[in-house]
Amino acid sequence: MSRIRRIRAEATAAWHSFLRRRTAVFFTFFFPVLLVVIFGALVRTQPTAGGLFAEPPAYYIPGYLATVVLFTPLSRVGSEIARHRDDNRFEKLATTPLGRGEWLIAHTLVNVAIIGLASLLILGLVVALTGAVVPFTARLALLVPFVVCAVVLFCGFGAILGRLSSTQDGVIAASNTIAFPLLFLSDTFVPLALLPGWFAPLVELSPLTYFARGVRALTYEPSITEPYGVELGVVAALAVAFFVAGAYAIPRTD
Amino acid sequence: MNEAVVAAGVSKRYGETVALDGVDLSVADGEVFGLIGPNGAGKTTLVRALTGTTPVDGEITVRGAAPTAVDADRIGLLPQSFSPPARLTARELIDYYGGLYETARSTEEVLAAVGLTDAADSWYETLSGGQQRRVCVGIALVNDPDLLFLDEPTTGIDPAGRQSLWSLLEELADGGTTIVLTSHSMTEVQRLADRVGLLQDGRLVAVGTPTELIEAHGGDSRLVIDTDQPEAAVNALREADFAATASHTTVVVTGVSPVEIGDAAAALSTAGIDYGSLTWAEPSLEDVYLQLTGEQFAGGERLDTGGVPAGTTTEPNAVTPTAEPQEGAE
Repeated sequence: MSRIRRIRAEATAAWHSFLRRRTAVFFTFFFPVLLVVIFGALVRTQPTAGGLFAEPPAYYIPGYLATVVLFTPLSRVGSEIARHRDDNRFEKLATTPLGRGEWLIAHTLVNVAIIGLASLLILGLVVALTGAVVPFTARLALLVPFVVCAVVLFCGFGAILGRLSSTQDGVIAASNTIAFPLLFLSDTFVPLALLPGWFAPLVELSPLTYFARGVRALTYEPSITEPYGVELGVVAALAVAFFVAGAYAIPRTD
Repeated sequence: MNEAVVAAGVSKRYGETVALDGVDLSVADGEVFGLIGPNGAGKTTLVRALTGTTPVDGEITVRGAAPTAVDADRIGLLPQSFSPPARLTARELIDYYGGLYETARSTEEVLAAVGLTDAADSWYETLSGGQQRRVCVGIALVNDPDLLFLDEPTTGIDPAGRQSLWSLLEELADGGTTIVLTSHSMTEVQRLADRVGLLQDGRLVAVGTPTELIEAHGGDSRLVIDTDQPEAAVNALREADFAATASHTTVVVTGVSPVEIGDAAAALSTAGIDYGSLTWAEPSLEDVYLQLTGEQFAGGERLDTGGVPAGTTTEPNAVTPTAEPQEGAE
């Protein structure tokens, strides 16, 4: 019970802190909305043409979800660690019973809540603005473990970035540098067929690739019969690995 | 009496810089131990070493365990330059940090103790600097610790707020809480600490009660005279058998008892020397600090005395020496 009490205290503080930073709230939800509006409603997909956005609208749902699943935890957790370090909060926390893993669980829970809401918003917008058809089947519920595992994974990654970067600006720069290539080169917005053959093995190295393929198998009609177990397994295994590494990376001393 | 903190041969280097150099220290249960020293002397590093937040060489036990293994529910820390989440209210912050412990004092009790009941629902970032520091002290107290580390707890707090915090810390000490505090305010340390350690260049160069340190290193009582004729004043005072030295527009007479202040003033008047004020003070911890660190007055200004006069100041040519010995001084 003490552990739950500590995690709840940390998560409650983090949640209130997030909600009261209106700029952070705005951009957390506005950025993916902007992406959906620009690419889904203005540029629009052209299924009969070649080039980018040549697939049906629902094909890109994993990409839109990936924007929040990837960017939000990387930048939020990384920045939070930099902020904690600047304000000597870890020095204080190190003398409390709160453990590093508990700290990361609390902040991951907050991210799961935020990204869960943002994901629902994105799904609704994609359907409403682009006319995407999402098969409403029981397996759609598996979006939840995919999103949760991916958030855990990238929260752990964000913690590592926060440890390695000395400033909040450094965290943002590092997370953008990592997230942008991952976002577009993980079988999300750009199909493998449009990439050079030699690049294909690199796509397999991106954790986001397994998230995108798994989500596509749940939300895209032509892929609805494809298996998703391996993808979910890989994302879950990576989530555990990155969470452990991230918790270990959280500073407790100077 | 049991030792709450024992450190033996504690050393710490940052590259070529020696932060701590073989520090030996013990703090008894229920004792208030003050750490003083110039900036960069190693005070904060020593607090970090004692709280296990920086690895060091040497042996440290805190309540009988290694600093990183001690029961965290019984320890409190206010780190230097600590800032909690800025957009939580004072009440939420006390709730938050209280929630990290097995048991905690009631939030309202802590808010009342640090004098923030009226500002409890204001975001931390909207509070004044002094109120913010009081929130931080409240956070350090929230688990009702047996051993409390405070790294410059009253920095930025106005005199009234400082006095109320001192009273709070005195109550905690009276209740048996062991306190280790660092400070640049000699008045604060002299008022609160049972024993004082002076760190310089990473070495603990003196340890003792304020009285012991003042007797050993504080020198004589002093009469400080503000005048535009320092050289003439020194000559006049020396002719009257006073030991006087001049510095800028200040003359310092050492070894003057309160009953001799009138004689000194008379010597100046006889010589026709105008003076702005006469300030008499017994030696204090500040003098110990200056003596042991070799630091000088900067531009004629004394170090921070926490807003409390060290002795008696008289108006021009109206000497009424009513000075009382300071607390802890003989």
